[in-house]
Amino acid sequence: MPVTLLDRLPMPNLRMYSSGSVVALSACVYYATQVIKDPNWSAAADSADIVGLHKEVVDLNKSNASMPDGRSMGQYVSDVFSVMIREPVCVWTMINMAFCWLILVGTAVQKLVFGELRVSEQQHLKDKFWNFVFYKFIFVFGIINVQYIDEVLLWCSWFSLLGFLHLLSQLSKDRFEYLSFSPTTPLWSHVKLLALLGAIFALSGFMLLVSVFVGFFGGFNTFAFMSAEVVLLSIRTLHVIIRYALHLYDMRQEGSSSVSTNEENRVWEKRGPIAYYTELGFELTALIIDFVHHLHMLVWSNIFLSMASLVICMQLRYLFHEIQRRYKKHRNYLWVRNHLEQNYPMASSEELVENSDNCAICWEKMESARKLPCTHLFHNTCLLSWLEQDTSCPTCRLALNIQNPSTSRIDPPDLQVDVPQPQRRQLNHFFHFDGSRYVSWLPSFSVEVSHNQLMRPEAAPASNSQLDAMARQVQQLFPHIPITTIINDLRVTRSVEITIENVLDGRLVAPAMYREPDVVPSANRPMSVLQTNCDTNLQQERNWDELSTDPVET
Amino acid sequence: MAGSALRRLMAEYKQLTLNPPEGIIAGPINEENFFEWEALITGPEGTCFEGGVFPAKLIFPADYPLSPPKMQFTCEMFHPNIYADGRVCISILHAPGDDPMGYESSAERWSPVQSVEKILLSVVSMLAEPNDESGANVDAAKMWRENREEFNKIAERIVRRTLGIPT
Ligand SMILES: [Zn+2]
Ligand SMILES: [Zn+2]
Repeated sequence: MPVTLLDRLPMPNLRMYSSGSVVALSACVYYATQVIKDPNWSAAADSADIVGLHKEVVDLNKSNASMPDGRSMGQYVSDVFSVMIREPVCVWTMINMAFCWLILVGTAVQKLVFGELRVSEQQHLKDKFWNFVFYKFIFVFGIINVQYIDEVLLWCSWFSLLGFLHLLSQLSKDRFEYLSFSPTTPLWSHVKLLALLGAIFALSGFMLLVSVFVGFFGGFNTFAFMSAEVVLLSIRTLHVIIRYALHLYDMRQEGSSSVSTNEENRVWEKRGPIAYYTELGFELTALIIDFVHHLHMLVWSNIFLSMASLVICMQLRYLFHEIQRRYKKHRNYLWVRNHLEQNYPMASSEELVENSDNCAICWEKMESARKLPCTHLFHNTCLLSWLEQDTSCPTCRLALNIQNPSTSRIDPPDLQVDVPQPQRRQLNHFFHFDGSRYVSWLPSFSVEVSHNQLMRPEAAPASNSQLDAMARQVQQLFPHIPITTIINDLRVTRSVEITIENVLDGRLVAPAMYREPDVVPSANRPMSVLQTNCDTNLQQERNWDELSTDPVET
Repeated sequence: MAGSALRRLMAEYKQLTLNPPEGIIAGPINEENFFEWEALITGPEGTCFEGGVFPAKLIFPADYPLSPPKMQFTCEMFHPNIYADGRVCISILHAPGDDPMGYESSAERWSPVQSVEKILLSVVSMLAEPNDESGANVDAAKMWRENREEFNKIAERIVRRTLGIPT
């Protein structure tokens, strides 16, 4: 964004810069008018290769009168222009003037719509600006490898305009995200921002038309190169507009929630998947277009061992990873959603009436809810978005057997179990908080502060036969707990007594599978149970040595 | 979506103002941004931080309550579980996937049923009972274990400073 460029470089202020630009341009125009006063200027320029030597050439050709004086106004202007085009200094002055215009427009838009930019917005803008400049530089000089100055100029002006709109779009997105943090944003700010977004979208449509027009004459490749960025711009802008609309709808819903009808509630329930799929659609489309665009550049540039193609390859790799990541996330979403639908029933209306509490995730009233095996109720969408990232009941931490085999976030159990971890015996202090004092569904909880002492840290992992013997010992006492769970706990505790203690204290319980026979088999993930149940009383254990070597912890 | 996060934060704010827990005040720094809160925590009675009023800042992510907020004291603090820059290190503020080494059980970690109020109450209890195994501030943890007198002196100085009393 040119506006932020001003903050960055040691430049005079905007007023100085723009008046300087105007003066420089006037000087060039004056120079051009002086030149064309000479009737021989045209012939002179034609015969001159180096325009800088113009004057001398004019002197040489003085005798050669080829063009009669007496021009119309239109011709006069076009003559002035053609002189200026030939003179590098004038060309740069004009480019400078164009930039000055962009900056002025940018500043005006900023003043009108955004007001003072926030620090993060400025930073974001700067990064985006330099990123854009870098990639377009690579594109113009590395990929299409333009030979002529006027081609360079055309591409540059195209990309300047495009970059300008990209940056405005980015800024609008940032600002929208910021505005959505507040419930008291005046309507006027929303209107201004939406109008700007609409204008950007319209302009990108116009630019798409231009690129179609140019592509009609310049061939398919030119069209593809030009339109890809424009399409990206319009997709991103439209994405922001739609998110904005959804957000405003959300907030309006909030305002009228007390008198909402059944019909509205149904729409409200459906909103989750709709929002999700629009998000997914926009993100994936943008990524794929960007990917194809870069692939096209790589294939077209035909020089695989240049710096430019290296950069493009890096970008391709990045985009590929992004697409992959997004796809995996989507698979996980589908998996969790199917799992929810198949294993956990919707709560009946009696259950809803009985349970008068709000959804514990969003704190809003539940018109419909999904019931987990532990009888905790949540909104379907709330539960879904939580289970996408964690596989336990938010309230009671009951481990649910949701583990998408394709996207296991947690390392295979063996890896974790085999790492000999120093074990600690705790001397604990309790802090008890009785949540029901405030709201009936708030759970009571205790914060337990542990004073840990290292306990047999060097002990070698118990061998399997030993473990089995110990596990059988425990299972005699607690036949309802599966042997694998006990073994896993024993691997950590390495002591029958501590494991028994864990069972007695409820830290080690049978996995959900044992209560819910028809959920997905848990064979691939016994650790999840262990992790949530075996050592609930460790509030936070950080090894000293590790912290001194790695103090940055978030 | 920031919309649901915003509504949840508004609900929490409402609840905190209607039914404030003892010794804790919290709310958005300004109404224009509900994702940055300021909290004032009174040092728990009967501890070395008794009487102090400690200001802290809470920054909420856009997907709150799915992810935990970040908390940072804005006054000088000397405590085993508080980094030198004021960031608080307690398990309730850690997202479930954050700790690959498995030092913390996920049951103590963040979950969407946690709330600002619960976080602040945990912090109060942390002030009362530091966990010297979690060396966010190694010097403080060491002093807490080995030289309690000195620790109490420093704490007292900090308390005085938060109250604006010259030390
Ligand atoms: Zn909900
Ligand atoms: Zn539950």
